[in-house]
Amino acid sequence: MKRVLLHVGTPKTGTSYLQDVLFKNRDLLVEHGIHYPADRFDDHFLAALDLMRMPWGGLEHEAIGRWDALAERVRAILDEPTPEGAEPRDTTVIISHEILATASRSQAGRALASLGHGAGTEIHLILSVRDLVRQIPAEWQENIKHRSSLKYERFLALIQDPERDSRIGSWFWGVQEIPDILYRWGADLPPEHIHLVTVPPSGSPRELLWDRFSEAFGLDGVNLEREGERANPSLGVPETYLIRKINKTAVDVVAPADYRPLVRELLAHRTLSQRTDSPRLALPPLVHDWVHELEISYVEEIKARGYHVIGDLADLIGTPAGEYTDPDNPDFALVTRAALDAIRALLVENAHLQQDRERLQRELRETQEALERSYLRPTYRAREKIVRKLDDSETGHKVMEVYRRARGRSS
Amino acid sequence: MSTVRDDHGLRLAWGWVAHLRAGGTTPWLAWRETGAPGEPPVRAAAHALPGAQQLELLRVLNQRGTPGPVLAGRVLEASAPGRGRPDLELVGLGEPSGFGLPPVDPASLPRTELLRIATSLLADDIVAAGVPDERRRFRRPWRRRYRIVGDPWVAAAVRDDLARRGRPEGDHPAGVTLVLGGDVATMLADVWVTRACSDGVEEWEDFVQAFRRRRHLPPRADLLGQARWWAERIGAERVRVVLDPAQLPRLTGLRRKPAAPPRLSADAAELCRRLVPVLGVLALPHQRAELLRRQVAPRLAALDPVDRGGGRPLGVPERFWPWLERMAVRQRDGLLGDGYAVHGDPGLLLPPPAGTLLGTVPSIDGVFELALRLLIEGPARGGSRGRSGQ
Repeated sequence: MKRVLLHVGTPKTGTSYLQDVLFKNRDLLVEHGIHYPADRFDDHFLAALDLMRMPWGGLEHEAIGRWDALAERVRAILDEPTPEGAEPRDTTVIISHEILATASRSQAGRALASLGHGAGTEIHLILSVRDLVRQIPAEWQENIKHRSSLKYERFLALIQDPERDSRIGSWFWGVQEIPDILYRWGADLPPEHIHLVTVPPSGSPRELLWDRFSEAFGLDGVNLEREGERANPSLGVPETYLIRKINKTAVDVVAPADYRPLVRELLAHRTLSQRTDSPRLALPPLVHDWVHELEISYVEEIKARGYHVIGDLADLIGTPAGEYTDPDNPDFALVTRAALDAIRALLVENAHLQQDRERLQRELRETQEALERSYLRPTYRAREKIVRKLDDSETGHKVMEVYRRARGRSS
Repeated sequence: MSTVRDDHGLRLAWGWVAHLRAGGTTPWLAWRETGAPGEPPVRAAAHALPGAQQLELLRVLNQRGTPGPVLAGRVLEASAPGRGRPDLELVGLGEPSGFGLPPVDPASLPRTELLRIATSLLADDIVAAGVPDERRRFRRPWRRRYRIVGDPWVAAAVRDDLARRGRPEGDHPAGVTLVLGGDVATMLADVWVTRACSDGVEEWEDFVQAFRRRRHLPPRADLLGQARWWAERIGAERVRVVLDPAQLPRLTGLRRKPAAPPRLSADAAELCRRLVPVLGVLALPHQRAELLRRQVAPRLAALDPVDRGGGRPLGVPERFWPWLERMAVRQRDGLLGDGYAVHGDPGLLLPPPAGTLLGTVPSIDGVFELALRLLIEGPARGGSRGRSGQ
């Protein structure tokens, strides 16, 4: 059987973790008839950008032609003939990226067709899903970690706007409105080929989500290497406030290519996410009812459509936190402490860079000195003096050009 | 999204698709009243229906000209690129499910929604046509040595033309640096147009506002700053500020004036700006800039010429004029005070006098109309270097 497992989202459901395990174990998986076709960790992300023609902070030019290349690779894997005398075996290919959730109907249709849908390939759609109570603050925080300085209050207003014509609103619902994502991607697939993996509630055993992924992707029985997994750690209230303020001050002067390693990786992921005692982001009480109604409607729709659920649909009904801290007005003592941690991290990083620079300067100086020593012969210095003198005048420069052409060299 | 239960409505929708493919212009709501039903495809009849944006774009194209079956097919299969609202469904096909955006009357869609689809199609055409080939004459060994800087839009065109004529710019210890410029308002617009045709830029008014807030001109419109930078490196005696293009032949040793850059209307420049993000996923950054500057800009300049009967150039809104005048005076006084060789009347730096063609800001309707005309006209011919990687 030729099968493609197409995992299209949603963001903030442990997708980076899953993709990292699949990528690191791709050779091992092939032995089990499971292919994760990627040469670099973000191959499927780039393919998704290409499919949706989505600019992404300057990364998009790396995405040129990536979807077609991925689809061609998938078809080649699936069409590979069984070696003579060997038992025919099932072949499964996994494609996974969460931003695919926002693809339009026409983009989804093109993607499915390019993977062989309707031409003998069995496509299974997998969507990992989490309750909106956790997804809403998580999406806002993701915006902040991508250079935004939007207040939480404004973010909430934009996602509640029924027109959804803002950048924020269209993106949020594009990747979070579960019934609509499944309609855009799955209207042409039988419901039994559509699998929902629910993210367990906070406090559940760590392995539970992995077990569900493992079941959905047919990984049970494969002895996967799962050390050093990629995580996308979250920030608390004062830390998110601090990054938002940094964005407001510095985003104009820090290019996206520098922002990623310095702010997102160094400050947010490696430094501020370690501060786990600060208040966590949550849903404000004012929107609890609205969100609860939405979650109920999702669950009812999913039940009515008869999709295959791995986990429990009740996981999609979130439990709001007991205490709410407004991330637009945090405790400034906590923000100051977070800022001190950030400054310390920047100082340490700067010291490392300075040491690197000094080492490189020393190496460069030594190289230059070695080069100069080799040029110390008197005849070389005399010729060099003549050439410099000639180059300083227009006529002399022309004479040198004629000479260089005659010699057939440019120097 | 709508759960389609109304089979007659769906058949009417497919009838409308066929009508539009055949060049029809009847709006959807009128078609629902009087149009003929069509035959839906066997599988996923509702899901496979093109989005309201695509259908309406085709209807408008049919109103403006004859797009032909190939373009019609491309429009119906296109997707809106990047972030934004997804493919919308037609109103009147059944009971909305309550998920996704509600179905719409396509005629009520804002132009920006249709323009998103149009830019995606145009980007494909542009990349397919490639950068126009051009013949370059052999390098004249006796050419004068110069470097061209200043107003980036003008400087790029002059550099190209000089290279075509066998006199490329280049480093030379005895060469001069020609700092090209004109009135400050035009230079400001030229910096924006250059960025709108390369790596992208914010909207025109936001761009001007940002520089007014910072109280300086963009570096590439700051002739004084550029002249000083070069003077520090090569000596002030080798810096020439050129405000009058008629003096360029004498300074470059040519008989004829170098070609002027294509003058884009405000709408044409805005269309380029909107093409940048889509082209970013189809071409490498330097190719994108070449495609826009050397293929798209000349086509747009011909399609919407900047003159009294045609398009209007990009203009600085009136509320910024006092600031701009202060900047211009500072430039003029600085250049004269520093003693650079200025070729042309220093008064040319000041905003153009009353009576000259007034600039404007882009209008979405104008941009959309230009996009339609380009689409109907079809891809440019005779280019090379298409999609990256091919």
